[in-house]
Amino acid sequence: MAVKRKIIKERVPTPEMPAEERIKSFAEVNLGYTFELAVKEAERCLQCPYNYAPCIKGCPVHIDIPGFISKLVQYRDDPDKAVKEALNVIWACNSLPATTGRVCPQEDQCEMNCVMGRVGDKINIGKLERFVADYAREKGIDEELLFEIIPKIEKKGQSVAIIGAGPAGLTAAGELAKLGYDVTIYEALHEAGGVLMYGIPEFRLPKSIVESEIDKLRKLGVKILTDHIVGKTVTIEELLQEYDAVFIGSGAGTPRLINAPGINLNGIYTANEFLTRVNLMKAYLFPEYDTPVKVGKKVVVIGAGNTAMDAARSARRFGAEVTIAYRRGPEDVSARVEEVHHAKEEGIKFEFYINPVEFIGDENGKIKAVKFEKMKALDERDSRGKRKIVGTGEYVTLEADTVIIAIGKHPNRLIVNTPGLKVERGKIVVDENLMTSIPGVFAGGDAIRGEATVILAMGDGRMAAKAIHEYLTKKREEKENA
Amino acid sequence: MSYKILEKKEIAMRNIWYRIHAPHVAKKVQPGQFVIVRAFKNGERIPLTPVMWDRDEGWIVLITFIRGRTTMRMASELKEGDELLNVAGPLGNPAEMEKFGKVLAIGAYTGIVEVYPIARAWQELGNDVTTLHVTFEPMVVLKDELEEAVGRHVLETVPIDPNLDFPTNMKNVTKRLTEKVRELLEKEEYDMVFMVGPAGDQRAVFNVVKEFGIPMKSDLHPIMVDGTGMCGACRVTVGGEVKFACIDGPEFDAYQVNWDELIARSGYYTDMEQRAMQEYMKALQGGEQ
Repeated sequence: MAVKRKIIKERVPTPEMPAEERIKSFAEVNLGYTFELAVKEAERCLQCPYNYAPCIKGCPVHIDIPGFISKLVQYRDDPDKAVKEALNVIWACNSLPATTGRVCPQEDQCEMNCVMGRVGDKINIGKLERFVADYAREKGIDEELLFEIIPKIEKKGQSVAIIGAGPAGLTAAGELAKLGYDVTIYEALHEAGGVLMYGIPEFRLPKSIVESEIDKLRKLGVKILTDHIVGKTVTIEELLQEYDAVFIGSGAGTPRLINAPGINLNGIYTANEFLTRVNLMKAYLFPEYDTPVKVGKKVVVIGAGNTAMDAARSARRFGAEVTIAYRRGPEDVSARVEEVHHAKEEGIKFEFYINPVEFIGDENGKIKAVKFEKMKALDERDSRGKRKIVGTGEYVTLEADTVIIAIGKHPNRLIVNTPGLKVERGKIVVDENLMTSIPGVFAGGDAIRGEATVILAMGDGRMAAKAIHEYLTKKREEKENA
Repeated sequence: MSYKILEKKEIAMRNIWYRIHAPHVAKKVQPGQFVIVRAFKNGERIPLTPVMWDRDEGWIVLITFIRGRTTMRMASELKEGDELLNVAGPLGNPAEMEKFGKVLAIGAYTGIVEVYPIARAWQELGNDVTTLHVTFEPMVVLKDELEEAVGRHVLETVPIDPNLDFPTNMKNVTKRLTEKVRELLEKEEYDMVFMVGPAGDQRAVFNVVKEFGIPMKSDLHPIMVDGTGMCGACRVTVGGEVKFACIDGPEFDAYQVNWDELIARSGYYTDMEQRAMQEYMKALQGGEQ
């Protein structure tokens, strides 16, 4: 497209529900673009050539971002065609765009190096991706495209078992199904989606959207066995007898706790438990839904990652006064900028440089306050580049009738106990092809990383699918030649 | 997956027997393990113990005690031929299978159904197993099965006194339980005591057992959500360390358990459970009009 365009410095904003309204419900906060707004934003893209485009380099799954954006502009007179073409480009790399468009940290990835950033606002890539996925879903365009793709798939006659239906597993499954492998996912919970279902709240990622993305994988032929706990219901050794390869995408399953007195008092939740009750089990609809959750008037969330923001904002929707307590300073907050911004808009308070040392209960074993030590930062930096912190010997106590611990997770122990599987500090060890110490068994996502983002897990899923494809192609050829 | 209810019957007051098609569980389950059941779309995930199973035919038997809304709804809304939405498992660690010698395996209320597969396997392994079941009179279950499976089955029942409220009635069970345990331990020498039942009763029994210095294993049932070590709801302090009952248990050394904490944690949702139950009963009555 050699059309000369005027540079528009300002980003076209996406409409959002006002803060005072959204803290009363779990409805989605960001309302997304209309086609007209999406085209307006798409027009701002400078269309860097594919080999150069820094956005593609910043994307862990390397979506052809200028490619999909250009389709919106090119077919602006035919919205359905524009979206279909754009979706086709995205799907080449990413089977879950409605999800990634919502939960990826775009500011640290694709948008980080956007050339537009040198003169104005960076392109709103995430929201454009989300728009394409949402519009396609609402109009049934994704189904149409899917049914064009399916007949072209050449069956390989080989099968792959995938452990965990979270972002890594779903991505690997989608890629492998498209390549013609028979794919079966083993999922421990009653719903597929992993952290997308139990962890990320409805107001950030509506569950119906995750379900629709998973439904498309089913249409691609992916089988999903829920209620199957690998390590208990079936072992990896047994899977290897039945399948030609295995991918472990079991995630970071076990919450990290704080080694301080009173950690098991009533009213202290791990973020996993709190979010599972609220998201997966819909405790915010109790008693219509059977699973209860107790959110007090004063909630303290410990930690400052995305999970902490999700927990804090969920608690806020129960009418609580919420404080996020973090032992480091604002510059070390690992949550996305957009989430921190939303949290602040919703009235969540932040307390920095305080580290919990004791949970204080009442006579019934119920939390009533948290004692923190005040911390201070040194100039010296640790291995992650964060400033080292030390205790000051001064203490502060915050009242709390609910505490949510959101300081991270360890990989799930049921999987890492597999004999022959090399594990270091709870994380599965893999080679450059994501193959584990067991031949034919690959792993990715939080199971190898400890804790990362949805898109990094998806990047692993995609890379593993490629590696599994190569591994199985070789296996197939060896068999044919034998 | 289809988890069809092949058979359903009330085997005692508030005790419902379900035989369920769940081949993936039947194939793997060992005594001491549990499953997580979700019966309804808006239901809870509840841990239940397979009492019997057939690996070839692919079924398991679950016995529920009607206690909260989910078990009540299962009893009143599900019939033979219906399906449970989810049966996940087997979960938890199998019970230790060793020759302990003379064993006293205690079940309070429906806890006895969990004792059954373990006690039976221990007896088969060559242990001399005595099972003790203490419950309300109309709630006796698995009497014949236990009598056949173990060396001796002792059944102690307590009448329900209609003039007393339920908590007071339950205190009578606890009293009988501890008296009977004391009597048995005084009369005979046991090498090991094992128990399944409410946390309060477990502590009461433990306090007796520890006077005799006999090793005791407890099957703990703290509140659980996912059952796979992911949520941390079921954490218990054992020997000063935080453990997850779902992946580290459910069996623990009774001497190491922080009982006060466990009892406090087990009761955290009682008020909400009651509210849910009341609303359900109201809806049921409303529906009948």
